[in-house]
Amino acid sequence: MMVPVRCFTCGSVVSRHWGEFQERAREGDEDPSEVLDDLGVERHCCRRMLVSHRDLVDVVAPYQ
Amino acid sequence: MSAGDGFEVEFVDRSERSARFVVRGLTPALANGIRRAMIADVPTFSVDHLRVVENSSVMFDEMIGLRLGLVPLTTPLDDFEVGDTVTLALDVSGPATATSGDIETSDGMVRPADDDVPIIELKENQRLELEAEAVLESGKGHAKQQGGVAVGYRHLQRTELVGDADEFGDDGPQIVRGVVEEGAADAAVADATDGDLVLADAFGNDLRERYPDKEVRVEDVPGAFAFHVESDGSFSVEELVLRAAESVGSRAVELRDAVAV
Repeated sequence: MMVPVRCFTCGSVVSRHWGEFQERAREGDEDPSEVLDDLGVERHCCRRMLVSHRDLVDVVAPYQ
Repeated sequence: MSAGDGFEVEFVDRSERSARFVVRGLTPALANGIRRAMIADVPTFSVDHLRVVENSSVMFDEMIGLRLGLVPLTTPLDDFEVGDTVTLALDVSGPATATSGDIETSDGMVRPADDDVPIIELKENQRLELEAEAVLESGKGHAKQQGGVAVGYRHLQRTELVGDADEFGDDGPQIVRGVVEEGAADAAVADATDGDLVLADAFGNDLRERYPDKEVRVEDVPGAFAFHVESDGSFSVEELVLRAAESVGSRAVELRDAVAV
């Protein structure tokens, strides 16, 4: 639903970077890998948290 | 080598929230003890109890509680004791995204370490209002109370020059990680002196980049450990390491007193 607050594996707070990642790599046309490098998300455990995430708030919102 | 002769600590890389340093004169058991103390013994504040006034968001109260628990809170360890609580409050009406920056705190010293952690996205007519108790506990009980993130160490390795590379030998990469001690400065492309501590990132983790056309061997340096420590923002890395070492020390004293006749 919302992006997980921390990386499941190492515990680094990855959700801080979600907004910018979404803006630049998902909605924009930048290379996700370069955006992650830019954001300082180095480890592959943290990178997969953002790369594999899909926001579902908009999908569930009508079914309150 | 014995652990009683004092330790030598050398920082390779240091910032508020992450550091790499080499400690000499450690035994593997003590190095691991410090690592474990950083993870499980140094307490941090974390939300543990919620009083939800209104939650019309798309998430259940429990999910909001989990997310709030994972938000790192600044923890001045000198002013609090394990078990102390601080009350936080959150009140956001949609359309907006409730972030950690919206959290109000009853004690200015304990506040979210980052203001940009999203809690929940609220749509039109949705509202989240709650009070939360943050408690100071150690990571032994719950991972949300851990102050250290990705804490680890490896044996320090030293490079030794063997000779020129075999012209027709295998041409695979020679990967090293973390920090290496320079032992073949003359063969390195970079400016170096023997005994330097070099970040492996600096040469792409591949010794062939640093010593082109040379055969280089790596050997463990006895009793030397390269630590990598990150903090989640609760306190500085320095504080985390010092508190962990203190915790190991106080346990040793406790054991000595317990077995003393």
